[in-house]
Amino acid sequence: MLEIEDKRAQSSAGADRADELFQQHRQEIYRKTDQLFARLMLFQWVAAIVMAFVISPRTWAGQSSNIHFHVWAAIFLGGAISIFPIWMTRIWPGTALTRHIVAVAQMLMSVLLIDLTGGRIETHFHVFGSLVILSFYRDWRVLISATIVVYLDHFLRGIYWPYSVYGVLAASPWRSIEHAGWVIFEDVFLVISCLRSVREMCFIAHRTAALEASEQNFRQIFEEAPIGMAVVGLDDRYMQVNARLCDMVGYSEQELTTRTTSEITHGDDLEESKQLTRGLLNGTARYCVEKRYVRKDSEVIWATRTACVIRDESGNPRHYLVMVEDITQRKHIAAALEQAKDEAERANRAKDKFLAALSHELRTPLTPVLMCAAALEQEPAIEPELRQQLGMMRRNVELEARLIDDLLDLTKVSHGKLQLLVSGPVDVHSLLIHTEQIVRSDARSKPLRLDLALTADEYHVAGDAARLNQVFWNLLKNAIKFTPSGGKIAVRTINPAPGKLVLTVNDNGIGIDRQILPFIFRAFEQGDTRGLQPSSGLGLGLSISKAIVELHGGIISAESAGPGLGAVFTIELSTVSPFPSAQLLAVQPEQSQNKLYRLLLVEDNEPTLAVLTSLLRRQGHEVLTATTVKSALILASDHTFDFVISDLGLPDGNGIDLMLQLSNDYGLRGIALSGYGMAEDLAKTEQAGFLAHLVKPINFEQLHRVLEHFAPAA
Amino acid sequence: MVIAALARRQKRTAQLLKVRFYSAAKWNAACCLNQAAPRTNPLQTPRKNLLATALLGIAWTVSVALGLRILFNYETTPGQIGAVPPAWPSASKIGRSNDRPTLVMLAHPRCPCTRASISELAKIMARAQGRMDAYVLFFKPRQSGAAWEDSALRGSAAAIPGVKVLSDVDGVEARRFGAETSGHTLLFDRDGGLLFSGGITQSRGHAGENAGERAIVSMVNNQPSARASTFVFGCSLGNRSQLGDKARCLK
Repeated sequence: MLEIEDKRAQSSAGADRADELFQQHRQEIYRKTDQLFARLMLFQWVAAIVMAFVISPRTWAGQSSNIHFHVWAAIFLGGAISIFPIWMTRIWPGTALTRHIVAVAQMLMSVLLIDLTGGRIETHFHVFGSLVILSFYRDWRVLISATIVVYLDHFLRGIYWPYSVYGVLAASPWRSIEHAGWVIFEDVFLVISCLRSVREMCFIAHRTAALEASEQNFRQIFEEAPIGMAVVGLDDRYMQVNARLCDMVGYSEQELTTRTTSEITHGDDLEESKQLTRGLLNGTARYCVEKRYVRKDSEVIWATRTACVIRDESGNPRHYLVMVEDITQRKHIAAALEQAKDEAERANRAKDKFLAALSHELRTPLTPVLMCAAALEQEPAIEPELRQQLGMMRRNVELEARLIDDLLDLTKVSHGKLQLLVSGPVDVHSLLIHTEQIVRSDARSKPLRLDLALTADEYHVAGDAARLNQVFWNLLKNAIKFTPSGGKIAVRTINPAPGKLVLTVNDNGIGIDRQILPFIFRAFEQGDTRGLQPSSGLGLGLSISKAIVELHGGIISAESAGPGLGAVFTIELSTVSPFPSAQLLAVQPEQSQNKLYRLLLVEDNEPTLAVLTSLLRRQGHEVLTATTVKSALILASDHTFDFVISDLGLPDGNGIDLMLQLSNDYGLRGIALSGYGMAEDLAKTEQAGFLAHLVKPINFEQLHRVLEHFAPAA
Repeated sequence: MVIAALARRQKRTAQLLKVRFYSAAKWNAACCLNQAAPRTNPLQTPRKNLLATALLGIAWTVSVALGLRILFNYETTPGQIGAVPPAWPSASKIGRSNDRPTLVMLAHPRCPCTRASISELAKIMARAQGRMDAYVLFFKPRQSGAAWEDSALRGSAAAIPGVKVLSDVDGVEARRFGAETSGHTLLFDRDGGLLFSGGITQSRGHAGENAGERAIVSMVNNQPSARASTFVFGCSLGNRSQLGDKARCLK
């Protein structure tokens, strides 16, 4: 409604303006025609006097003569007829009264001239000519006044002096109508002409009003634009500027229009600006550039200058249209953001460094414990109860290591550097069974019922077995953690379609709030942990699992009907054809063939060195140890080794330099042991020539497999 | 009715173009009061201008009306007519035709009003088609030189076919024919009887169809004519001393 009212108001305003323009135009015509008649009246007066002097200068009586009456009539009556309308055109220009007096006077002048010329028929054309000139007013009413005068002249003279017009002593009144009829005949066409002229004037007024409105609109847009706008001449001088640009550069409009753009452009940007402007003349449609202006107060501001060239109909450049947007604040903000980003990146790097160091420091003490427990657990002579306790120790150490790994993995995920070690088709069912065996004791201790229903016929996927195992372990550990005693956990696999494997972990635990559900795959997000021990996780498992599943081209999702109603985690993976030989490499250690190697073990951590040496020697390997780079080099120079197993952080150097030297000097191959497991750490060891990079705490079986894998040919 | 139709037409135009024309009332008011400019407030118009306009308007109307009345009176006031003889004056030295009518015009060679009479005589001669003799006698003072007779008017008369131009020294012939005003025209039949006496212009110095012309043409063509005399408009043929105040065109 408001819009309609607005449009009506605009339409009314447009009509008012058109009316105003029409009135102005008409008034101008009235005034100019008044001036025309003022001059014409004067001319006619003079002409009448001259005419009287020429035609009838004197009147005679025999030999004597006097000035003719016509001369006096031309002077005085002509003056009387002319002076008043001339005066009116000066005092009341453009008024209707003036127009009508002029019309009457013009017709009276016709009467006088006809008399002065002795009623010549040619002089009667003055009447018709005068009507045409009167129509210059484009006011048909004026013609009516003139016609009335003609009619009255004939009518009255027909009554009082019929002989003077009709040559008879008594004339019929119809004679005057007949005479006036010819005048009216002309009037009809002149009136039509006047009306047409008025219509055209109205049309012009409407067009002009519309153009004015359009121009006003564009002018307003130009003036009130929120960005600086200017019309710049080809001589680089400002022709027209808006208020915003003036505010921007601190000059008044008058000051700016006496300057060139170069005068307020920063010196460093001047050449580029000129080059871009030349480009416009050479055919570039427009350009947009960030440049600096120097304000009147010498302050430098940044602005985006967009310019194009305006051409005439022939295509010749007329001027430039320039739009200038102040981006000084944006520039400052961008600089601040850049600085903040640099600081954040520095902080992030520091965090990563700290995490790596922390991981290293946390892993190092775990290595001897884990290796010791693993070695003792395999001792056939120990009691079953002790073996069970050793297993518990090993698992807890492994859990501790897993938590540390999660921290590192999270860093990798956040940097997009998490990588898969794809060895071949992975048997998902075997991985699930293995994972179930790992967590079974936890489930029983709660107690919980843990059921596996692995019904899928296609259950091999292409991927990293260790990483998938990590995912399954996370899901099962989560289910156990968040399912109260007596609860039930079901793990199922199905093939909803050929080539598709869907794995679900369903529990009837505490469930997940719908509001939290969308965020549970974010790092450090956990569901409702009330009632759980504070140390029940870091909230990284699902985030890492999601990244791993997605790296496998799969989808992981979670569903829950709400708190207390359990949860279902679903993983969808694409299956591949099974590859029978290598699939269990990751999870089931091959039977060692007990190849014996000469090993140089370099480790500065004494407990790790001792345990690892013991375990390797128990395997039958010949092991020489060093705790420093120097001692390692001495041993390498005196003995022959198949492999060097080296820590990276050593008291007098680092394992990378050591490896480079040993590789160069003796062609030794090496395996890196380190508490640093970041991607860049792995890259460094690879570049140094290490065959593998094992992150502490080291699983001895893992080390054994690596040795077997890289065994020299027999 | 025509004006009403025009007003309706204008109203339609205004409606079509959505432009307001002045109503009759506004227009009349504007005529009389405040149309210096359409947007001018009439209250701001100087009072002295209004008063001066009113006074000048009245003076203009009166002076023009009076002037025209005087002019018309002058135009339509005939000149003097003397004692016109009922038959061809025997003392006249002009040779009258015995087989057809004879027209005699007495004229002043310098009278501007007689120009119209000569013009009308040319028309009469054309319409008479040679069935009439015609003389134009121009007044000539005895003492005047050749320059007196060398006038455009005499030349115009001489150029009319069938017209004989003669000089009337001291207006002797004029007096014989009873003519006192230039342009006085007389028509005599073949027997010398007066058929017509008067002027052949409708007013002073005005050419054009007139009663004298119609009467003469009718008589020459042996047709009945309602008139045998008309007014004469022109300068006096006699001197002031002879005719007093009525001696010139202006009576």
